[in-house]
Amino acid sequence: MCSQCHIRAALPEERTPTSTVARSNRSQAKMTTAPYNYSYIFKYIIIGDMGVGKSCLLHQFTEKKFMADCPHTIGVEFGTRIIEVSGQKVKLQIWDTAGQERFRAVTRSYYRGAAGALMVYDITRRSTYNHLSSWLTDARNLTNPNTVIILIGNKADLEAQRDVTYEEAKQFAEENGLLFLEASAKTGENVEDAFLEAAKKIYQNIQDGSLDLNAAESGVQHKPSAPQGGRLTSEPQPQKEGCSC
Amino acid sequence: MSFFRRKAKGKEPERPVDGKVNRVPANTAPANSPSVSLRNHHAILEAAGPSHVAINAISANMDSFARGRTAILKKQPSHMEAEHFGDLGRSSVNYLASETRSRLSKTVDQILRDNVATPYYIQFQEAHGADHLVRFWLEAESFRSTSWSRIRTHSLNSVKLSSLAEPASTPVSPDLSSPSELDLPSARAPTPSPQDLDSHGNEGPTAQLIHGNSFSSSAEQSSDTPTRQPFSRAGTHFSSSGEQSSDTPTRQPSSRTGTPLKQQSTNALKELSDKLMKSIERDAVKIFTKYISPDAARPIPITEQIRNDIVAKICGEDGMVDPNCFVIAQSVVFSIMEQQHFIEFLRSHYFCKYQIEVLTSGSVFLADILFCESALFYFSEYMEKEEAVNVLQFWLAADNFQDQLAAKAGQYDGQEAQNDAMILYDKYFSLQATNPLGFDDSVRMEIESNICREGGPLPDCFTTPLRQAWTTMEKVYMPGFLSSNLYYKYLSDLINSVRADEFVMASAPGQNIAPDGAPDGTPAQQATKKAAAVKILKNFDEAITVDIASLDPESLYQRPYAGRMTFGKVNELGQFIREAEPEPDVKKSKGSILSLAMKKLVQGNSDEAQEEMAWKIAKMIVNDVVHQAHHDSPGKSTKL
Repeated sequence: MCSQCHIRAALPEERTPTSTVARSNRSQAKMTTAPYNYSYIFKYIIIGDMGVGKSCLLHQFTEKKFMADCPHTIGVEFGTRIIEVSGQKVKLQIWDTAGQERFRAVTRSYYRGAAGALMVYDITRRSTYNHLSSWLTDARNLTNPNTVIILIGNKADLEAQRDVTYEEAKQFAEENGLLFLEASAKTGENVEDAFLEAAKKIYQNIQDGSLDLNAAESGVQHKPSAPQGGRLTSEPQPQKEGCSC
Repeated sequence: MSFFRRKAKGKEPERPVDGKVNRVPANTAPANSPSVSLRNHHAILEAAGPSHVAINAISANMDSFARGRTAILKKQPSHMEAEHFGDLGRSSVNYLASETRSRLSKTVDQILRDNVATPYYIQFQEAHGADHLVRFWLEAESFRSTSWSRIRTHSLNSVKLSSLAEPASTPVSPDLSSPSELDLPSARAPTPSPQDLDSHGNEGPTAQLIHGNSFSSSAEQSSDTPTRQPFSRAGTHFSSSGEQSSDTPTRQPSSRTGTPLKQQSTNALKELSDKLMKSIERDAVKIFTKYISPDAARPIPITEQIRNDIVAKICGEDGMVDPNCFVIAQSVVFSIMEQQHFIEFLRSHYFCKYQIEVLTSGSVFLADILFCESALFYFSEYMEKEEAVNVLQFWLAADNFQDQLAAKAGQYDGQEAQNDAMILYDKYFSLQATNPLGFDDSVRMEIESNICREGGPLPDCFTTPLRQAWTTMEKVYMPGFLSSNLYYKYLSDLINSVRADEFVMASAPGQNIAPDGAPDGTPAQQATKKAAAVKILKNFDEAITVDIASLDPESLYQRPYAGRMTFGKVNELGQFIREAEPEPDVKKSKGSILSLAMKKLVQGNSDEAQEEMAWKIAKMIVNDVVHQAHHDSPGKSTKL
């Protein structure tokens, strides 16, 4: 037991299952309905002006329902849902922030360590689009350099009252290296895609190595999809073999 | 049992001693919450019962490190306050102001004043070649506080000189205990200190006593001067570096010189005052030459004007050095550090190391988790698994609400605040609440009256339920979290960040939890290892178990995916069998080193036979080696 790896978080039984048996299980993509069988957790934040529909987007995504008169968010809330990305089960932990200016200071502390950020504006209100640069500045300053940011133009169902064209928003997104989608929390159009696209990009970053899976503050938790996902009461065991120090 | 131990360590010393405290949470807040958590609570509370004694014992011995937190908590009534005090907890202090700090998230100011974090910050700055900034700041800070103390001593001595009729050495013995702490600040910053220590050591035993004596009285008189704060903090800061060996021996003689004090007092006092003033000047000049003067080795970046200002303050007209002479320069340096270096520090592995130290120190507090975003990420996941996420959600929302109200300092729209508060009420408190938490009626009525207050709710509107939610999370969920898989995952992620940064490696090879045991890598191997690690990441769906650190010889020869390689495969002996059609002239050039060597050695008839013979011999050698490895005990594969 060397001094450098004296903290071994590996539970001894977890070393052997990652062998041919579990490997074949996973590669068969046989997903049971066990609650804890996701392999990854991505942290998202949703930011944007007040009233653009952030909470409604979240609610539509997690509950598949549209909240017609939901009250405004106080501070932050979070919701979760499990999706599938490239054959992997991924749980999204989505932090929905309050858009009111008065909560801006407190919500800033939740940006850090987010793997993905949804920046939302309302296509029927030009002011919400104009404020995007300020939200983007915050996002870039407070999150990791390789956080995936996706721009969402919400309320796409209200075509008659559209105030921001698709093309100009698309151009803004491209100029700033953002993904872009127009969605509607009311009808559900593109809502799933919004979250999914960001997740795919994050996953891709993990695969090509630009996002370090095992770094804290990456916004990603990676765990084996062994059925036991919750509390395990064993202490960290010292590594008995393979200690190369 | 490890569970109890961790629970005891993970808790702050709880206030009331009665054993009923453990039972109460089951009756108040969580009792009416979802039944699953109720089951959980009872189990945990029952387990928690016997360790309460241990907790009290520990809290009784708690040292000053956590004194601040302890003091605040002692003021907090426990979970059962509503029944305890009968006034809905109104008499309790607003605890929120002091609980907003996580030891894991720091501002620059907090880091500079925290003696655990400062060394990491210094290391980080060293790595970036900017450590003179932070060292200057620290030295200037200690100079300032100690100069104030010396000046105070000096002025009090002058007072003493004039009124020497009073018994000069009133309580001698009690003061002896204080000089041990109070003399500590007279020693200086760990790095540049030897001369300073000498300069104070020169003052002699008499001086020590008087210094301690007058200082203790001055401490009482001026306990509310602002400089006392940084002073005592600087004192405790530098005391931890263990510099005080010179003070202790001199403490002994001072008791003996207690009686002859009066006779020598006049001269000694005068001498002392001079010495004090000179020492201040000496220190100021030292700092100046080291950091500020234009021909210093590592000058800090300040303008000429500031420099002249400092010179003027050091060489004051009345011969007195202004202790605040470096303050402006300090603030310049501070803002440089804050703007240019700090964010990088927070992302660096030095900060991760600091966080690891805090988290493995054995006493992690709920505040550390809730106010640190990365820890909160894991804790939220844990709470969701425990089906108690509502408690956390409520706590987050109400805390944010109160924070933003408090930040307004009274200048807020009461109606708006009331609307916000009503949203929370409807969600968590009302009888038709969408997410009821099970607060009892007394709390609900208190909230109602707080919200419906004339002029809108105050920033401490939700204090009571916040405190109850805090206590619930702390007592019921924290211990479980600290021994959970998620927490270990968080720790190992931190460790991996450190390793990754230090050895420029991508990450642990596929395994999520086992940190890569590869600090064996010499820098030359880093590139290849990085490539290897990245490649493994690409295949991480299969979570390859190839651990660079482990040297199982078998695994080197096994190629379970060989069939997918298009050009050929390698069999057990390492023999490469081509699957593609070989080039016509490949036989002449190709050939493993081994077979070439064999050819030279054996000098067989034909190439084919030679090669065959060579392979046979190779096979024999390999078998031998493998056989030997099997004979050895399997756990001995520790060679690199």
